[in-house]
Amino acid sequence: MELEQRIRQTLAQVAIIANCQLTDNITDDTVLLQSGLDSLGFAMLVAQLEEDLGIDPFSQMQIAVYPSTFGEFVSIYRQALVQAS
Amino acid sequence: MNKLVIVTGASRGLGLAICRQLLQQGYTVLALARTLSSDLNALTEQYGSGLTFVSVDLSDLDNIQPLCSEMIKQHGRPYALINNAAVGYDGVLATMHNSEINALLNLNVQAPILLTKYLLRPMLLNQSGRIINISSIIARTGFNGLSVYAASKAALEGFTKSLSREVGKAGITVNCVAPGYMQTEMTNSLQGNKLESIKRRSPLGRLATPDDAAATVLYLLSEQAAAVTGTTITVDAGSTA
Repeated sequence: MELEQRIRQTLAQVAIIANCQLTDNITDDTVLLQSGLDSLGFAMLVAQLEEDLGIDPFSQMQIAVYPSTFGEFVSIYRQALVQAS
Repeated sequence: MNKLVIVTGASRGLGLAICRQLLQQGYTVLALARTLSSDLNALTEQYGSGLTFVSVDLSDLDNIQPLCSEMIKQHGRPYALINNAAVGYDGVLATMHNSEINALLNLNVQAPILLTKYLLRPMLLNQSGRIINISSIIARTGFNGLSVYAASKAALEGFTKSLSREVGKAGITVNCVAPGYMQTEMTNSLQGNKLESIKRRSPLGRLATPDDAAATVLYLLSEQAAAVTGTTITVDAGSTA
């Protein structure tokens, strides 16, 4: 499955568990904090992706990085998967 | 019951008592320690697959994330984490070596925080879990020669309160158990007059035992403790009353 699609599915899945209402049209430019998912929900998204993909790009980075948009978030995972392979 | 509980510092003292009581109540245990003590080995022989020993040095902080990933991969999402591993160097601060201060803070504060960070994640996905940090009455009372140890335990209590607010809505409770002086290898240096005086002055006329403190940990793990979070339960035979 294409990575972005997988992240979108996981996002929807954790939003339900975290009891958050996602905004309708999430694009690359959508600011994560305005997507409807709260900070604990993002922790769950990172946790679920770690279980599914076997990577946590944020822990692997030497410095703290916080993506602000959905596009940046996907891009960080894409780069981490390339490095892991 | 198949609930998986991860216990650090499991080879001796309180950690060992916690493992024993967990197994008696049917929990599945991942017992973390640097070395497999003969007592812990006896538990693995008695309970078979109920207990798995994981040899690890938690002062190697860089290893904590891969360790957690591996444990989750091998054993599934944990129900609970018991942060029990600690060192208790005593000595006056003015002459305590900086390397000892560092080592103590790494093992007593940073390691439990990092373990909690990575083992909390699967609990968030389960929307259920328990974090129990082993503090000490020393976090709130003074004791000559234990200032750095006291700082580490007070840090855990502060960590516990704020984290309980952070993860409460995900169905995860975070608490501390603060034992008083117990007769374990950690308090060996307290033997003799000091220990006798602590016993004499306690309302119950004795010390709390590792089993007393372990029973409180088991309570906090239970369904009955679902409404208890962000607090510290003292088990000290009344010493600080």
